[in-house]
Amino acid sequence: MPLSIILGAGKLVSMTSLFVPAFFALFLPFCIITYALVPKKLKKYFLLVASYGFFWFVSGTLVIYLAATTLSMHYFGIWLDYTQGKMKSAMSQAEKEIKKVVKKRYITRQRYIVLMAVSLNIGVLLLLKYSKFFTVNINDLLAFMKVPLVIEIPKYLLPIGISFFTLQSLSYIFDVYRGVTKADENLFRLALFLSFFPIIVEGPICRYNQIAEELWDAKPITYRNLTLGLQRFLFGMMKKIVIADRLNPFVKVIFKDYANYEGGVIAFAAVCYTVQLYMDFSGSMDAVLGVSQIFGITVPENFKRPFFSKSISEFWKRWHITLGMWFRDYVFYPITTSGKMKKLTASARKKIGNHYGPLVAGSIALFSVWICNGLWHGSAWNFVFFGMYHFALILCGNLISPVVKSFNHRFKINPQWFFYRLLQMVRTSVLVVIGELFFRAEGLKNGLQMFRKMITDFSFSSLNTDMLVKCGVDYLDFVIAGAILIIIFIISVLNEKGIEVRETLAKKNIFLRWGVYYILILIIVIFGAYGIGYAPVDPLYAQF
Amino acid sequence: MEKLIEILEDIQPDVDYKTCEDLIDGHYLDSLSIISLISEIEEEFDITVPAVEIIPDNFNSAKKIMAMINRLREE
Repeated sequence: MPLSIILGAGKLVSMTSLFVPAFFALFLPFCIITYALVPKKLKKYFLLVASYGFFWFVSGTLVIYLAATTLSMHYFGIWLDYTQGKMKSAMSQAEKEIKKVVKKRYITRQRYIVLMAVSLNIGVLLLLKYSKFFTVNINDLLAFMKVPLVIEIPKYLLPIGISFFTLQSLSYIFDVYRGVTKADENLFRLALFLSFFPIIVEGPICRYNQIAEELWDAKPITYRNLTLGLQRFLFGMMKKIVIADRLNPFVKVIFKDYANYEGGVIAFAAVCYTVQLYMDFSGSMDAVLGVSQIFGITVPENFKRPFFSKSISEFWKRWHITLGMWFRDYVFYPITTSGKMKKLTASARKKIGNHYGPLVAGSIALFSVWICNGLWHGSAWNFVFFGMYHFALILCGNLISPVVKSFNHRFKINPQWFFYRLLQMVRTSVLVVIGELFFRAEGLKNGLQMFRKMITDFSFSSLNTDMLVKCGVDYLDFVIAGAILIIIFIISVLNEKGIEVRETLAKKNIFLRWGVYYILILIIVIFGAYGIGYAPVDPLYAQF
Repeated sequence: MEKLIEILEDIQPDVDYKTCEDLIDGHYLDSLSIISLISEIEEEFDITVPAVEIIPDNFNSAKKIMAMINRLREE
């Protein structure tokens, strides 16, 4: 019998979700207890073994990709560090006149090393995740040109979280190149940074400087971290199990059989999907941050109440924050601050002014960001469309902002006025829902047809109890989801006003604190969408 | 410092640059303003601002921007 079968490799694929019993009732308690029991010196090694064990359970032998990424990045990092050391030494010995030449020579060498690291890791990602997409499109093109050639469509198994750990490993190598962090000579520390089990499935995409040292420090578990971490985990579980998974059957049916429903029902399904995605992804992030907190690790927040955004640009600063920051730091600013773009900005500013001048270079960089963002989410045209849709909205927002400002000034409209801001929030949310419709649609063609139905056939005539039953839900599902959403909305408003609900609660007496924990558990147990009639739903972002 | 404030006021008026300490975190300067600002200060102070320097900590106040300019001048 192969060893992989004996050890259960890839047998617990369902553990992609932190909310399945295999994780929260077995794996997590085992990790917490063992971590607490092992001596301080061994805690970090235990976390590393547990992280690789987690990956092994989910993806089996595909763990080789994670190990290869770690080894390659460790090697490239050390090579970069060595080259930087040589550059410093050569610079200190060089005559003043040739210092620039020496520096340029070594910078070029470093760029080649970074290029190799990027090519290798992005190459693997392209091969595993995108080769099918490219082959299908090349075959379509060949057929269109009547070339009698069909390329065989490759099939590869994707290791869990490859899009996340690839970006995380690239940020490490970029930061070493930029001098933000030093190359890590300790292979195990780097391996733990790239594999830490709570973040491996859906992120957030952490930077080396944010968590690597804290992980390696492996502090003992404290009562405060344990209870606050569990509280956050339960809150995330409530979002995912009670709201997201409850809406899933309805969303699934309407998006699959949209041709049988009117535009109004499709629009309602698009709203439900947006809520589902938000509750699913932000709930999973709550769980990730909660589990990390139990082990004393502060992982960066990935959401900041995105539906309070007044523009699409602001929305992306509050939704999947770490992905947005990754693209900003490693794509947007490097493009806009490259020599040619700076010259373009300088000359454009002189010709078309302070606002539109930088927009020329900015839009080229924005386009690059959004094509990458769309494709990062998936290898299909609807994801490319999703990226371009948001690119167009952000660009339009920038183009019309001077007009809006002068309009407001002329008609004495105060942009801080509550109803004005509310209108902006509603407008942003509507635009986001339309984007998510294309994001969820089964292909771009279906997405466009669904959107057309929303415009030309807007009615709710088929929306009744029988129809809901056919979709596998009833009105009570929406009542429960709505009631919990109201609680989440109230907490969000308080947080938005600067009242830290978790901190406030932590200061209350033990009866109130544990009362809240029990209420959360009861809500999940009583209202959770699990058991008969509900298929387990993998985290939506795990597929990316 | 006065020259820097002049540049900032040209790019984004209606902000008190002498006192404001959260130009980035308070959303007074967006990414386009930053692109403009970098292009201007590079020309004015004869420096190169690499992408790695574009972090809120370097741009949150006029004082911090000036400190970054002085540091880059020395390098």
